Amino acid sequence: MNVVELNQVTKTFGTTRAVDGLSLAVPRGSIYGFIGPNGSGKTTTLRIILSILYPDSGHVRVLADGQPGRSSDRIGYLPEERGLYKKMRVRELLRFHGELKTGRKVNAEVDAWLERLGLADAATKKIEALSKGMSQKVQFIAAAVAQPELLILDEPFSGLDPVNAEVIRTALLDLRRQGTTIILSTHDMNLAESLCDFILMIFRGQKVLDGTLAAIQDQYGADTIRISMTHPHPNTRHLPGVTEVRDLGQTQELRLDPAADPQEILAALMQQGRVRRFELTRPSLHDIFVRIARPTQEE
Amino acid sequence: MRRVLRIARREYVAAVKTKGFIIGLILAPLLMGGGAIALSLLKGRIDLTDKKIAVIDRSGVVADALTAAARQRDTQVVHHAKSGRKLQPAYLIEVVPPHDADPQRQRLELSDRIRRGELHAFLEIGPQALHPGTNAALAQVNYYAKNAALDDVRRWLGNPVNQQLRKVRLAEVGIDETQVKDLHDWRPVESLGLVSLDPTTGAVTDAPKRGEAEAVLIPLAMIILMFMMAMMGAIPLMGAVMEEKTQRIAEVLLGSVRPFEFMMGKVLGGLGVSLTGSLVYWSGGLIVVVSLGLTGFLSTSLVLWFFAFMLLNTVMMGSLLAALGSLCSDPRDVQNLTLPAMIPVLIPMWVIVPVLKEPGGAFATWLSLFPPFTPPLMLARLSAPSGVPAWQAWVGLLGVLACTALAVWLGGRIFRMGILFHGRLPRFRQVLHWALRG
Repeated sequence: MNVVELNQVTKTFGTTRAVDGLSLAVPRGSIYGFIGPNGSGKTTTLRIILSILYPDSGHVRVLADGQPGRSSDRIGYLPEERGLYKKMRVRELLRFHGELKTGRKVNAEVDAWLERLGLADAATKKIEALSKGMSQKVQFIAAAVAQPELLILDEPFSGLDPVNAEVIRTALLDLRRQGTTIILSTHDMNLAESLCDFILMIFRGQKVLDGTLAAIQDQYGADTIRISMTHPHPNTRHLPGVTEVRDLGQTQELRLDPAADPQEILAALMQQGRVRRFELTRPSLHDIFVRIARPTQEE
Repeated sequence: MRRVLRIARREYVAAVKTKGFIIGLILAPLLMGGGAIALSLLKGRIDLTDKKIAVIDRSGVVADALTAAARQRDTQVVHHAKSGRKLQPAYLIEVVPPHDADPQRQRLELSDRIRRGELHAFLEIGPQALHPGTNAALAQVNYYAKNAALDDVRRWLGNPVNQQLRKVRLAEVGIDETQVKDLHDWRPVESLGLVSLDPTTGAVTDAPKRGEAEAVLIPLAMIILMFMMAMMGAIPLMGAVMEEKTQRIAEVLLGSVRPFEFMMGKVLGGLGVSLTGSLVYWSGGLIVVVSLGLTGFLSTSLVLWFFAFMLLNTVMMGSLLAALGSLCSDPRDVQNLTLPAMIPVLIPMWVIVPVLKEPGGAFATWLSLFPPFTPPLMLARLSAPSGVPAWQAWVGLLGVLACTALAVWLGGRIFRMGILFHGRLPRFRQVLHWALRG
């Protein structure tokens, strides 16, 4: 069963079409990743799901309700930029957000979340006194404290160090286990690959990718070779069938023509020196993202 | 409604828990009544330097009497009778013979003496002051000084000069002033209200005395109080909404509440602040009124009218100001819009004098029935001694109620679009489009 369904949704601001005929379905209990370059329409789509914006055309159904805004009490939202009352104290602010959603006292839930994310000592501090990472964790709790059925997170890991990012990642997985559906928008392709059950890529307001990582990668096939050689600067650009080379420092990624023969490439490389690694693989999400979003020559 | 009230509670607590609110509560009446307070504190602080006044008496009948009157004044009021402490400056009259050949030159010489500090002022009594003829200039009494208009000496001179002129005129027709008792007695015209019938006893009651306090101070206090409540509860909403918009707090809240609920929460929070301020000032005012025995100046109905109008005024202004705040993305936008937004509360302050002079006149009546101005002006008229016909007050209230509903509706539509609009201030046409078409 789908928690969110968008059907041919379009939203225009002035002369700019931010979302163009977008359709998607978010299955219940999944982690659904939104990826796409800046200005592609991700945040607008999230705002439409939240009923902050209304679409010009198309249909939106959230938590089995087609009436805009009626399910907002069951949705948690963490926006890309922090939006916290700076003069309020942490515990007081979280209670405010929880009570706004649930209409009841959420003192126990707030204290449990503060403890879980290591913010118990900061409970009485004012928001303005917190570090960026702590503010981000407070913002996350504000979105999750009311135990929403759907949690929408726009760049939830922004400003977090690896330790805190791991804390939030664990919390997200726990929430999913408890039945919460999570939509997260991110620029971090590694995160999307490792965390999301489904990935949707929006580019210029339109859906260009939608499915599991494996299904998306299957569309591209095994057209990538990762190599590592003893020779510090192997000449890979003129190898037969190689259309593009991505230098990652210690390794290089070679993108192949569909008709290319990997064996021929391996033989050519061995003539240049010792080959330490030769891996025929499917393109990474990052690679797919760049292939789609890279400006064309006309641009 | 639950969400509106939760936002309102947060707004209210955030506003009243600050030191700024407490300080503002104390400072606001001091600032509004600062002029009156300063005047009363500085009342006794006058310049005690003796004032030398030259007198050119072209009528030839006033100078001596004026010198005598000044001497008499100096002996009576300059020093404290018992302690001898100086209380007032002495007025020293220097009679200067008129220079008929070139009076303008004489005026210049005396003016130069004033400039050098040798004289405080000079008085020139016209040759026909005793019997003014067709040429009014010849009968004039002119006072020349650096600050002649507000000079206490000029005010004092009027009485002895005219008394002497009257005395000489009477003497010319053979009347001895001292023989006519109460010749110069002056009867003031008392201001009274209307005589009415006591509904319980059936007796005709005395007309109540109408003082200036009742005619001016109470209506003025009503207008100022309404102004202060708008400043306290409605005007700050514009900046607060802009701040929440630019700090992205609005976006987070819009994930939980509808834009209209968000706006109304803020407006009701502002209303709570205004109510708190009103209760504090009314409590303080009532204590003063009761302790001074002036309870007759206030009525229960006036208090009820005040709270009804204040409530609607705060919601009406608050909705529009919150909508305006939602259009702003920069503190400079708020600064630019604050003055135009305050016009509905400023205009009633500007027209208070003609309204209080004739509270029942056409100007006051029509202006007080124009909804944006109704709350302060109708209250001022209601608190004036002449009162207001009941139907006018109710029509005013209904007008404000309708205008408030319209302001909330329009404000909500503008707010919904404006709160997510970032960048430069939207054009008027665009805002109008949002307001009319959503």
